[in-house]
Amino acid sequence: MTVAEVLTATVRIAASPADVFPYFIDPALMVQWIGEWADLRPEPGGRFALDFSKTPVRGEYVEIDPPRRVVFTWGVAGNDSFPPGSTTVEIVLTADGSDTVVELFHHDLPAEELDRHLKGWTAMLDRLAQLRQGRG
Amino acid sequence: MSAVRGGAAVGVPDEGDPADVVLRALADPHRRQILRLVRAGELAAGEIASYFDATQQAVSHHLQVLAKAGLLSERRDGVRRLYALDPQGLDPVRQMLSELWPSALERLKYVVEQDQKKTATPKRAGRKL
Repeated sequence: MTVAEVLTATVRIAASPADVFPYFIDPALMVQWIGEWADLRPEPGGRFALDFSKTPVRGEYVEIDPPRRVVFTWGVAGNDSFPPGSTTVEIVLTADGSDTVVELFHHDLPAEELDRHLKGWTAMLDRLAQLRQGRG
Repeated sequence: MSAVRGGAAVGVPDEGDPADVVLRALADPHRRQILRLVRAGELAAGEIASYFDATQQAVSHHLQVLAKAGLLSERRDGVRRLYALDPQGLDPVRQMLSELWPSALERLKYVVEQDQKKTATPKRAGRKL
């Protein structure tokens, strides 16, 4: 019954990959699009810390390959059901003309493994619901 | 949970949102326990109730909430009501989480493109060929 799920999302940005890449490794740029606070050490094994909507997202960078690819782990500090390092976010930047296509893959999300993840997911999702409503 | 002054509440789910119906159903520890019990297979209401100290009516109420949220399937077998986990019940919640990244990436697009406009000089913009 355990089915790991991958969420994907994509966006096209009118800028080069070299211009987009820093937004995934520079804390001052990161918080412009996600989170309110970030502490980022962009090197393999380096700290990835991001607070958004009061949720302390914690993980570490796994791979940094500018300006094409960045991989970091993603979980919630203090949450046994969704701990730091439990899921992985992979971002791939591909130049297309003068644009960049950003593809995001969120790996290892729990799908049907209710036992372990139910509690963490409900807490996390409540916060996301607040975030979504806050942004209207 | 938290309310702001002026009467507007923050974090109060929209009644009509299917994800919020599921979240409310999941918000109760007894109901999560019920889902764990029926995960392996179908159980009768009475069997489920035997795991709890609560009254049969209270358990029955929880079962109804879960069934309405789509988390449990329900069928009759003679006088017994049988309940099983409906894995598709979590789809609205999963979908909601899946909205996080697209909306974040849209903000990224906006921010990067605004920053590009600020830094681009007229020369650079005009002399692409």
